[in-house]
Order: sequence, then C-alpha cells, then structure tokens
Amino acid sequence: MIKTAQDIKSYKKQLKEALSDQFLRTALDNFNCAYRENRSAVYEGIDFEGIKKEIAAEKDAALPRLMELFEAFKTHAEAAGVKVHAAKDAKQANEIVASIAKENNVKKIIKSKSMTAEETFLNDHLENKGYFVTETDLGEWIIQLRKEGPSHMVMPAIHLSRYQVGDLFETVTRKQQDSKNIDKLVKVARKELRPVYLEADMGISGANFAIAESGALGLVTNEGNMRLVTTLPRVHVALVGYDKLIPDLKTMLRILKVLPRNATGQAITSYVTWIKGTVECGSSITNRKEMHIVFLDNGRLALAKDPVFSEALRCIRCGACANVCPVYSKVGGHKYGHVYIGAIGLILTLFYHGKENDRAIVRNCINCQACKEICPVDIDLPHLIKKTYRAVLDQDGKTPIKNVLLSKVLKNRKLFHFILRNAYLAQKPLAKKKAMIRHLPHFFEKEHGFRSLPLIAKTPFRDQWETMRPQVVQPKYTIALFAGCAADFIYPEQSSALIKVLQKYDVQVEFPMDQTCCGLPALMAAEEETAKEVALQNLKAVMSEKYDYILTLCASCGSHLKHNYPKIFKDASLTPENLKAFTDKIIDFSSFVVNVLKASSKDFNVTVEKVAYHSPCHLCRGMQVTNEPRKLIEIAGYQYVPSKDEDVCCGFGGSYSVDFPEISAEILKKKLDDVQAADARILVSDCPGCVLQLGGGMDKRGGEIQVKHITELLAETKI
Amino acid sequence: MQTSDLIQLLKEKAEAVQAVVVKIKTLKEAFQYTVDLTREQRGTSMVAMGLKTQDVNLLEKACNTADISFIKPPLRSHANEIHTALTPVDWGIAETGTLVLDSSSEDVRIATMLSETHVALLPVSKIKPDVTALENEINAVLKADGSSYYAFITGASRTADIERVLAIGVHGPQELHILIMEENRE
Repeated sequence: MIKTAQDIKSYKKQLKEALSDQFLRTALDNFNCAYRENRSAVYEGIDFEGIKKEIAAEKDAALPRLMELFEAFKTHAEAAGVKVHAAKDAKQANEIVASIAKENNVKKIIKSKSMTAEETFLNDHLENKGYFVTETDLGEWIIQLRKEGPSHMVMPAIHLSRYQVGDLFETVTRKQQDSKNIDKLVKVARKELRPVYLEADMGISGANFAIAESGALGLVTNEGNMRLVTTLPRVHVALVGYDKLIPDLKTMLRILKVLPRNATGQAITSYVTWIKGTVECGSSITNRKEMHIVFLDNGRLALAKDPVFSEALRCIRCGACANVCPVYSKVGGHKYGHVYIGAIGLILTLFYHGKENDRAIVRNCINCQACKEICPVDIDLPHLIKKTYRAVLDQDGKTPIKNVLLSKVLKNRKLFHFILRNAYLAQKPLAKKKAMIRHLPHFFEKEHGFRSLPLIAKTPFRDQWETMRPQVVQPKYTIALFAGCAADFIYPEQSSALIKVLQKYDVQVEFPMDQTCCGLPALMAAEEETAKEVALQNLKAVMSEKYDYILTLCASCGSHLKHNYPKIFKDASLTPENLKAFTDKIIDFSSFVVNVLKASSKDFNVTVEKVAYHSPCHLCRGMQVTNEPRKLIEIAGYQYVPSKDEDVCCGFGGSYSVDFPEISAEILKKKLDDVQAADARILVSDCPGCVLQLGGGMDKRGGEIQVKHITELLAETKI
Repeated sequence: MQTSDLIQLLKEKAEAVQAVVVKIKTLKEAFQYTVDLTREQRGTSMVAMGLKTQDVNLLEKACNTADISFIKPPLRSHANEIHTALTPVDWGIAETGTLVLDSSSEDVRIATMLSETHVALLPVSKIKPDVTALENEINAVLKADGSSYYAFITGASRTADIERVLAIGVHGPQELHILIMEENRE
C-alpha cells in the first residue's frame, strides 16, 4: 500500500506529481496557515523553552532504564490482570496480536488510531488472517477505505479535500452526500461506525504513555472512538512502543501540557484516559475485559543506547515537525516520510523500515530549522537528519559523485577559490550585458530556471581587500570579518558596504586571508570528515586573541560556525582547545551594530523608503536573532513594513535549491507573493544566500522590489 | 484563587471548547434542566449514573411526566438508545475547563460515551485550579490494587481530520452541559 521511492530518480518523479496535485495544494495550504496562529495563542503564559528542556531531560533519563521501567510496568499491570507481551520486531508483534484474536475466537476487530500499528502494518497481517478490521478514527477510517497510509501522524487524511472525502463516502454509503458540509461528513462516520463498535469482539488501541509506577496506560484523544474501542468489545489489545514508557504520572502530566498544544493547538484534548487492568466488561463471560499489552521493540532498545540517535526516541508524536516544514507543506506527507511523517519520519524510517525506504526521502531536508524550533522535546531534527543521511550512505557503501567532488574541492581552499575565480570567465557569455543570468544554458534542466542567477564577481572581495583595509588609530574594537564564499566571490559589494558602514565607529576590521568555506555545504551533504577538516582550517585562519568579535555577513555561516562546530567536535578528545573562545566571538552584522556599537538614528540620513524584511532561517532560528535587524532598518532611517511569514524559509537551502529546484521554486513563490503583498520597495535580508534566492526570483518574475543585503541598505543612508 | 474566580475560569475555558455551562442551586433544578433540555432536543430517553436511589426515583418520575423513557442499568443492551446521560463528576479543573470522572463502571462509560448529550453535575467544592492540584487524587486511583478506567473530559467529542476544520460530535457525545452546583445540598 505504501510505496516510498527507493531511489532519488523515482522520488523526484513522485515529487513532481505531488507538486502538480491541485487538491493536495489547497488542502496543505489551508492546513498550514491556521496551525501557527492557533498554536501561539494556546501557549500564552507557558514557558515552552523551559518545559521542553525538562521533558527532554526526563525522557533522556528514562532511556537507559527502559527495561527497568518495563519490568515495573509489567509487575503492576499483571497484578491488575493484564497479560503483558514483548515483541522484538513488527512481525512478532503482529503474530502476537493475531494469536490473541485466535485464542479468543475473535472475528471482528475495531481499531483506534495507533502509529505503532501503522509501523508494523498490523491491519494487513490481521486481514490476511481473515479478520475483519475497521479503523474508527475518522482520518484513519478514510485512509483505510482509500487503501492509503497516513499522510500525517495526528491528522492522517489531511492530504484530502472535503470533496474527495464526500465522493468516498458516497461510494461507501451508496447515498448522495453534501460534500461542502464537513459537519455532515463527520456525522456519516458517526452513523456508519456505531453498529461496528457494538459488533466487534476485539478492540486495538495504541497508547501515548505507559506509566511504570502504576501499570496504567495513558491515552490522549479527541473523537471519542478510542473510548468506545476500549470499552465495548470483550478483548482489548494495546500495542505500545517501548519508548512510551515513563516513570510516573508527573512526567505524563508535564508532557500533557505540550502534546495537545503542539499537535493541534488545543490546551487539552477532549479526552485524556487512563486504563489500568481488566475493567468491567458486560460482553465478556467473566464480566472483566480480556486485556493485553504488547510492547514493541523493533529497534527501539538498540536505538535507546545509541549515543547520537537515542534523542529521536524522545518523540511524543505531536506531528508539529510536519506542520511547520516548508517542504512538507508543498509535497504532503505521502512524499515526506514512509510510515512516520515529517522530520522525525526522515530519521525513524531508517531504524524502523530500513535504508531502502529512507534513501531518497532523507535527502529532502532544506535545513531551515523550523522543526527543531517547534519540537516540544528538543530533538535536534535537522542535525539528526544529516546524521541519518550519513548512516544511509555508509550502509549503502556508495558515495555520490557530487559528494566526492565536493569533498575534494572544499578540503583544498586554493583549488576551491581557483574554481570560483575561473567561473567568472565561464559565465561571461551567458550574462550578456545584464547583471544576472536569466537563461540557463541547455545542459541545465528547465526546472532550474525559476530564478535568475547572479554572476561570480570579476574581482572577489579578497582581491580588493588591500586597497580597502581601514586603518584605525585607536580602535574601539578589532574584528575579523568572516565574509563567507558568497560575500567574497559573488557579492563583494556586500562586504565593501560593511567596511563603509563601520568606518565611523572606530572599528578595525581584518580579513584573514586563509578563511575558506565554513563547511556547511559539506555537512549538508553528510560529508562529516570534510566538514571537520574545513572547520579546522577556519579555526586556524580566523581564531586569534586580537579579535574582539568574528563578524559574519551570512546567517548560515554564522550559525554553522557558532552552533555546528561544537557538534562536529562533540567528541571531547578531538575538540580544539580554542573552540569555545572562537564560537563565543561569532556575531552577526545586525547584532554587532545594534548591541555592540549601539548605533543611533543620528548616524543615518532619513529616507521615505519602505523596507520589507526576510528573516533568514539560520539567523532567527539558527542564531536566535530576531529583533536586531528590524530595529536596524528603522535606525538606518527606513520605514520597516512587516509582511506575512517573514521567518518562513525562502526555499534556498544552499545546494537544496539545486537538488530539489521545483520545491525550492514553490517555497520561493509563496515568499515573494507575501513580500509583494506588503507595501515596500526594498526587501532586505541578512544572508547572501537568501538575497540570491529572493533577488533571482524577483528578477525572474519582473518584480519592482529591490532585494538587498542589510549592509548595503545601511551603506546608502550612512552619514 | 477564590471560589468565584475558579467558577469563572472553568466556565470560560469550558465554553471555549463548546461546552454549555450553567450554575444551578439544587439537584431538583438540575433534574428539571436535564428533562427540559432532552425535550428541547426531541430526545426520548435518559439515563443517570452515580445518583443516590431516592434521587434516581425523583428523576424517573420527572422523566415519566415529560414522556421521556428512563433507562436503567445495565446499559449495554440499550447502547444505541441513550439520548441524554446525567452523571455527577468527581472533579473539575478550572484552567482547562475539564471534568474528571472515574469511569471504571461500565455503565458510567456507556452513558458518557454513547449518549447524544452528556449533562455533568459538578459541585463547586470539587473545582480545582489546575491538574497539578489533582495529582495525588489521580495517583491514588491509579496506584490502588485492581483495575480502573479514569477519564478527563473537556468539551464534546471533536475532530479536525477533514481539512483541519473543527467539527463537534464525532463518536462521543455531541453536546456537553456542565451544571455547576453552588450548594452542597444533601
């Protein structure tokens, strides 16, 4: 039923289909917009950052003692009459459930939503054994009738429009349905499923929590179907992953504060239910429920011991990583996961469903960090996705040619810069007299043509440096400029604008010549060794006691230097001595000018220009800088005009936009539409990558809005 | 928090999830409310769980007068016939508008899960500010020997599974009415 692409070529074909599916587009757009608003309202007065650190710590503390928690749970549950089973893999779990059905002479089975049962493909197994299985969660029922897998962990049928559901229900009921009216469609499910509950012999549920200290299960639901599934039939089987074990009620109540808020923007779901033991049940001859709990390993116990990936087991299945993912919002869950969907799905798929199913999808992360920010248990999802990609490459034992070349070139700064300089000559015939390349040569496929491309500069910044180097007699600050490849070779004017702006502030700027690519592209390609080698080169080139700050013009370089370098050298024995001093000195341009130099509006001329702002992913989420650039626009004499979704990715993502140009183009399209809806003549950002994407897209659509780096904006009004 | 603030907060939060919240003074008033509501909704049947025998008798009489059939437990064979279910609840949680109900009895579950309208009786003295204030009470149930089915109920059953549009009344009750009893009568 679920057909996940196993190679990049067929995956791209599937993506193309998804992008042209108009039903899907509408459904995802509707879904995407409302979530962010609902969620922020419901978190009012709650310390999200604090609580997520607490839960993460509790989950981490539970992982090494999962078996101990399991034993405690088992003791309490068995004392209350439950039969507890342990399944080492999906196959065994399915067989256990089928044998329980057989022993109890079961014919009809009803199910409430369980991602764990989706993971083991339990329905297929039971149906093959001749059991009649009905899903009762509305979304699950819909996809069961359509013979599909879920497209979201919380809302499994979110890829469908009401009209598609209406058509489906017409087939099922053989009656005409009012598809416009969602309330009426919901009542169809209510009516059709009522008799099914009453006839069922066995109910299958999942669980959100297995509480060790009491042996109770905790379940968090909205529709009321789970309550019926666990009440009416005489047998109840709960299928639970080991990762759902928690020590106590306190932990559950803490998680309960964030789970519904993050999942659906609710303060609490309609129902929170605790089930312990064999409760009263009139349809059983003993008058007590026949109760079984099957714990599923399927790789979890090994994962719990993994020094890198154990973090993924913190997941509480809120689905928020999909809700905020710009890629998910364009292609939908069926193309953004295997069984588990969204950022966490790109990781878990390798461990639960094998490298074949993860090989293609794991590459489709744009690294915008939105999932990491929203995750209620503090999983560093983008980081783990790249680690997963590495693991897939290692298991496959093949390195893509692109990776081989990338590593070879990046490790050798002189070779890398030689190539960049010569690119200027190669592109000359394409540019004609324009400042941008609007039509790509034929060896590029046409999907890359969604944006004009900038030219590699004739003279990179490093070659202009000697003539530009300021001489400050008594500098207040001495800083090293880490320009990044783009502000050196493509946009040297962004770097020279910086020099101009800083002139009056008694800042001695230095440009360490041996600086090279920050290494982020290598990490994105999962070439960790290359990333490490490049990092060492930069540390050697740029780290010096004489610098008060290391200033970056590129948000991606900045957040990579500051936050990824420590991850690259996580193993303490390899950590360079000066790493902490180095990362402490990294600062972005806006923060430096606003917070350190304390620039005032007196330093700038006032203009009437209205300026919109695009907040780069790696600045607002990567470096947590949000206020300073907006403040700086106003300080510099411009009028800042807010636009919609300023902190949503522009679709660049470095090599992502080359690997997945059509998705990049779609994300960019929405971004530019939002910017054009604001009343501004200039769009400013503080990352050359975003400027490249936004400027190229604006040029291609013939938009009037100028796209600039914030240094250029300031250089124009500087007194 | 003062009692009146607790009531106000619970009312606000429960109404935000489409529950109907009404203050009443006596059990008799609660019965009248439930009978009237059932008639308004053109319901023809009612169950009540968790009441004292003499109160059950009173309610049954009121139902008979109003031409509402009063169904008595065990409820399983009437599972599809219940229009209104009236039950006292154990606790209320103000911060989320939540009702807490020990549902270990199968009849309590059938009444609160399969009825069209659930009317819950909540004495003022049972309203707690937040879930933390109930941690010991919940744990006492969960850690006791034997089996239990314990429920938080917040608003009517709901879904957003189609187009993320909120729809009320999926598989559980379509309406939840909370009657806050200001007096601890009886």
